[in-house]
Amino acid sequence: MLSYIFRRLAVAIPTLLVLVVFSYLVMYAAPGGPFDTERALPQEVMANLEAKFGLDKPLVVQMANYVWNVVVHFDFGPSYYYKDQTVNDIIAQGFPVTLTYGFWSFVVAVVVGMSLGVCAAVYHNSWLDYLAVGVSIGAQVLPNFVMAPILVLVFTLWLGWLPGGGWQGGQWQYVVMPVIALSTSFMASIARLTRSSMLEVLNANYIRTARAKGLPMRKVILRHALKPALLPVVSYLGPAFVAMITGSVVVDMYFSTGGIGVFFVNSALNRDYSVIMGITILTGALTIFFNLVVDILYAWIDPKIRY
Amino acid sequence: MNLKAILSLTTATLVFGTAALAEGTHPVTGEALSDNQTFNYLQLDQFPSVDPQLVEETIGSAIARDLFEGLLIQDADGNLIPGVATSYEASNSNKTYTFTLRPEAKWSNGDPVTAHDFVYAWQRAVNPETASPYGWYMELTSIVNAAEILAGDMDPSELGVKALDDHTLEVQLTKPLPYFPAMTTYATMMPVHQATVEEFGSKWTDPENIVSNGAYVLTDVVLNEYNTREKNPMYWDADNVIIEKTTGHIINDANAGLTRYKAGEIDLTDELPPGQYPNLLAEMPDEAHSVPRLCSYYYTFNFRPDSKPELQDVRVRKALSYAIDRNVIVDQILKGGQWPAYNFAHRATAGFEMPEIDYAGWTQAERDAKAKELMEEAGVEDLEVKLIYNTSESHKAIATIVSQMWKQKLGVETTLENYEWKTYLGIRKDGKFDVARGAWCADYNEASTFLDLLTSNNGNNDGKWSNAEYDDLIEASTTSDNPNEMYTKAEKILADDMALAPIYHYTNAFLLKPDVKGWPYNNAERNWYSKDLYRVAE
Repeated sequence: MLSYIFRRLAVAIPTLLVLVVFSYLVMYAAPGGPFDTERALPQEVMANLEAKFGLDKPLVVQMANYVWNVVVHFDFGPSYYYKDQTVNDIIAQGFPVTLTYGFWSFVVAVVVGMSLGVCAAVYHNSWLDYLAVGVSIGAQVLPNFVMAPILVLVFTLWLGWLPGGGWQGGQWQYVVMPVIALSTSFMASIARLTRSSMLEVLNANYIRTARAKGLPMRKVILRHALKPALLPVVSYLGPAFVAMITGSVVVDMYFSTGGIGVFFVNSALNRDYSVIMGITILTGALTIFFNLVVDILYAWIDPKIRY
Repeated sequence: MNLKAILSLTTATLVFGTAALAEGTHPVTGEALSDNQTFNYLQLDQFPSVDPQLVEETIGSAIARDLFEGLLIQDADGNLIPGVATSYEASNSNKTYTFTLRPEAKWSNGDPVTAHDFVYAWQRAVNPETASPYGWYMELTSIVNAAEILAGDMDPSELGVKALDDHTLEVQLTKPLPYFPAMTTYATMMPVHQATVEEFGSKWTDPENIVSNGAYVLTDVVLNEYNTREKNPMYWDADNVIIEKTTGHIINDANAGLTRYKAGEIDLTDELPPGQYPNLLAEMPDEAHSVPRLCSYYYTFNFRPDSKPELQDVRVRKALSYAIDRNVIVDQILKGGQWPAYNFAHRATAGFEMPEIDYAGWTQAERDAKAKELMEEAGVEDLEVKLIYNTSESHKAIATIVSQMWKQKLGVETTLENYEWKTYLGIRKDGKFDVARGAWCADYNEASTFLDLLTSNNGNNDGKWSNAEYDDLIEASTTSDNPNEMYTKAEKILADDMALAPIYHYTNAFLLKPDVKGWPYNNAERNWYSKDLYRVAE
């Protein structure tokens, strides 16, 4: 197992490098540059800006410098657009925010989604099943850019319970709506995945055997059915977790949370090369890491799987 | 500006102010002040920088105006009033300016503000190492050697500005600019504290490091969430500063901004959802305002030699422009009190007399008839044009309705193409269009900021229209004491040749809580200072 983990981590490095090179090339292929504005800058002003940020050097040199600074100094460079900030500052400030609401969204999505899914499967074709399916489909079709304004309308304007936006260091009042907005569609997917795979497992022979030998239903489900039923769900959870903790542009924009989701989108629009790269690498590294976590979990859940 | 007038004005506020504030009333109006003197407003985006020499957009500029004080500042009507300078004198026929600085001005750490701070800041603005995106602004000021230093051909120390003593600053210009003093209000020309900049480098604007000389100091910056500035006790006029704390909340969405305004979390939102202004005005008549904003919206034609030949015919360009019913655009799409435009420079520009453009006075039916006539005269049939715009709901709505007008009235087929902003800039610059959407906003409150755009050598003249007579007029206007006559002529040339089709002059529609007073509604550049605001007791 350990050697497997090391092998996977070793592969991660070239993977990230490929990601860096590919993103760099795509980014440069995009028309426009970080310093293009409505006003065409005089040549000398543009030249000074390009020199300051090293954009006057050949692409290969730029890339090599970039990788060197990241690997050796862990320095992702200055932001080309937010000139008072470095990429390290931006990630250091924004990532804890997205991590917080992403983590809680994950918890809510998993707990509620799995419970709904299990109930729906166990009480298959009952009103509970229909209710659970109805809720999950409703949550799935309601995109978060619709969800967010509705939440604010209800909780801020009508009821006056929660502030309409902001983060304030992550006080609970500010976290509630972002978590609801972000978790619902994930919750719905988890509920449907759990339900269908649970239904399949409940029809398996060993479950019939377990019930035949007189085990109570509760024990059958918790001890025998749940674990195998979770396999497809777990493979979904890895990427879903990364998607949640790297933020959502809708949540960031609508609730002014200050997470990195909105930076990612703005950096692309601003051609803020260093911020694009920084967040891409962060997202890439997290994806690789959590896919590994999922694979390890697999082995734990299903003893048949050996690495 | 009259030296005596400036001095007496300052003294009056000083004497007046200190006595009255203690009683919780406004020093000038006598209104009862609220106990809560905080101001919260919407910022559409995280500011890129508040370093005066690096600021290049409106959000950072608004903060910089609170944190730093230049030689001159603006009052609620946009008039120049003393900032750090108490007076100035022009000599050498407007090519030398000497500013006298107030001795009591201090930095937030207690250091005196001196003429050397301005010299340092202005040299910094043109220093290639600073790489200021507003370097062009320094070129525009015509300070001796600014352009050469930016190009790396001279040392920053050779800039035409020097401190004659701690409180006297002398500036040398290459050409007589009557509006040079007005240019000192912009952030690029604000002073910075040399020791702080040199000690902390690019981190000098962090709240824990920053030293500033304005009415406020930066106390908190949380990226993409909020930023706070609080009253600076060291400010020379601190006794008359009423708002204790101003917070900008970054809200990227106009609807979210409106909700938070209604929830009482912000006092000002100037990004209203498109088309909502009439409803909001009906709902909150005391809070909804629409004031001129110095930007002009237009469609430019492509004059490049390889572009569509039909568009090189002035009759076709006129027909296309006449057929646009601007009233439909402002009244039924935008609904924010914008003005239909038939000339380029914004009507609210200071000192600008609106030119009399012939087709502005016609009815739309007359314009349509004339358009058809011109099109027939030109013998153009089955014209197809490509109209490009940058992605946005309202640009799309306007482009769509214009294409329908052209189709119905002139039988012109229009292909609409929209591009994301940075891509769009490149495509427009490369001339890959027949007609392109554009808007120009004033860099300073004078008509030349608009009319310069269409001179042959202007880097932003994306349609590449060129007219020698026009160029001469604009060139001559820069040093003229009464340029209006030239502006009128220039606008007439634009209309006669239909260099572009002006569409509308912008307004700025916003919501402001009624207990916030002192808002500069009449400052067309929308330069507001927190120090002029106050909240009255309800």
